[in-house]
Amino acid sequence: MYSLGIQSLSEKFLEFWVNFFTYVSANYMKILYLTWEHIYISGIALLLTVIICIPTGIYITRNEKLAPYVIGFANICQTIPSLALLGMLISVVGIGDKNAIIALTLYALLPVLQNTYTGIKNVPKSATEAGRGVGMTEFQILKMVELPLARPVIIAGIRVASVWIIGTATLAAAIGGGGLGSLIFSGLSFIRNDIIFAGALPATTLALSIDYGLKKLQEAMSPKRRAARLNKLAENKAKDSNNQKEMEMDA
Amino acid sequence: MVTFENVSKEYPDGTVAVQNLNLEIEKGELVVLIGPSGCGKTTSLKMINRLEEPTSGTIYVDGKDISSTNPVALRRSIGYVIQQIGLFPHMSIEENIAIVAKLHKWKKNKMAKRVDELLILAGLTPPSKYKYRLPDQLSGGQQQRIGVLRALAVEPNVVLMDEPFGALDPISRESLQNELIDLQQRLKKTIVFVTHDIDEALKLADKIVIMRQGKVVQAGTPAEIQAKPVNKFVADFIGQERLASVGADSPVYVIMEDAPLVVTPDIDAQLVLEQIEDLGRESAQIVDKSGRWLGMAQLPQVKRAARQGAKVKQAAVAGRKLYIEEAVLSDAAEMLIDADLPIPIVDETNKFVGLVTSNGIAKLTISRLNKQKKMQEQAQLAADGADKKGVS
Repeated sequence: MYSLGIQSLSEKFLEFWVNFFTYVSANYMKILYLTWEHIYISGIALLLTVIICIPTGIYITRNEKLAPYVIGFANICQTIPSLALLGMLISVVGIGDKNAIIALTLYALLPVLQNTYTGIKNVPKSATEAGRGVGMTEFQILKMVELPLARPVIIAGIRVASVWIIGTATLAAAIGGGGLGSLIFSGLSFIRNDIIFAGALPATTLALSIDYGLKKLQEAMSPKRRAARLNKLAENKAKDSNNQKEMEMDA
Repeated sequence: MVTFENVSKEYPDGTVAVQNLNLEIEKGELVVLIGPSGCGKTTSLKMINRLEEPTSGTIYVDGKDISSTNPVALRRSIGYVIQQIGLFPHMSIEENIAIVAKLHKWKKNKMAKRVDELLILAGLTPPSKYKYRLPDQLSGGQQQRIGVLRALAVEPNVVLMDEPFGALDPISRESLQNELIDLQQRLKKTIVFVTHDIDEALKLADKIVIMRQGKVVQAGTPAEIQAKPVNKFVADFIGQERLASVGADSPVYVIMEDAPLVVTPDIDAQLVLEQIEDLGRESAQIVDKSGRWLGMAQLPQVKRAARQGAKVKQAAVAGRKLYIEEAVLSDAAEMLIDADLPIPIVDETNKFVGLVTSNGIAKLTISRLNKQKKMQEQAQLAADGADKKGVS
């Protein structure tokens, strides 16, 4: 009996993979299209989040009194269950991807806003004071001192937001927003794990690769890396000119 | 070059940082503002490049009233070396040095050339070794050199230095001070330098301005200040061992005691006796409510009065005293030889200001002997060094 049980489990497992590959090979165009749709919805939502949150985050470092209200609002948006948020927005903007994009944007405000705010707040006072002392305008202090120093923290916020958005975007299908969520929902209604998996796998991969990409981007932009690159450049230049001198000597 | 005219600075909470400051800083002069913390030296410095605005009065830089200039343009035209280094941690050394030039929109070639020039000037050679490093990849002393270079980058006429070497270890501090002296001899900038380190001030300054509670207490060359401190505060601040030859004609306050025991006349002698014994003193000064000196009560007399259960004024003697404005050390010494009893010092309104004792003269003698010994040792050391060089 036991062996039979195990056998039936492994059979089920095998059956799942067979079904999965059959489904994917039959529907890969559809999956690709839905992935594109998913990227499109998430991408626009992420872009909107960044466009709204970074200036707002900077603004509230200059107007401290507003900070608790603005961050409080973003916090509330993030606590509303995402499915409920999508549902409530139907009465405002109807169904479709517009609704999904707005909901995802609201949902992801908090990490970017919060990190922009704290990132800039934590820039050492000595650095901003030095900027003012050498004759930077307030805008130059922001551009040349505060934003570069706060960048790692801000990018960390964007990474969190992007993972949230890509994950939550699967719910967009529930209100006709499309994306990889449609596969998951149809898999749920047919009780077909292989279809659910065909939607979940690309969504997860997407989230992980964006996260990884942004991390690498931040590392590449870090002052240490830049300094190392410049140093190497200088060394090569020195070597080149030495070689040239030697060649001239030989000649 | 830099002129303060009746400048005051009061903060919104009512604290007065600077009070009616008048100061003239000549071209090419290195002026050190010094004083205990909270004396207004840093505020005064920051008013020169409008990081702080005076509440009243006028500051002129190069003959121009700075309140009518654009603060950003003003700061770009004045070099500024910041407390605790203040380099931009995310910029390379090259970018840090060139930042002011960049704000002035210099051409890239010109900027790169200037950076190399400055690094060589500071002995950081070859420049390519340091240019692309980040500030935290350099030692503290090297970082502060970069801070100085940044301030010199666009050749400003006026340079402000706000405790630039305060955070360094003694050895780096010493060598940076020497470099600054060397640099100043070549460049002849007008430098306003803030410090709380009197040795640094005496070493670097053409002129020292000693401040206290927002006011200038004394201004003059190091030699002048060492020779003739205007009052006890300055004498204490400079420290006895640094005062130039304290001699027979030095004012008495250089050896005045800090906290003599002062009592009002109608206290029970018994209480005063207890206080004298607790504090290990020999006498108490009797002073009325407005601070006027009435007399001195010596330990034996106080004891007698205490036995009789009398007030302390019973024990008072009011004979010897010296006036602070005119008395010199030789006066005090003669009186002490005459009778070894403390001598009260009063001002022209007979207000009690302090006490001179034979103890003070003894301390002075010891510190002078120590100074002599130290100088002899240094001379010996130098001679030894020369010998060794000669041998090798």
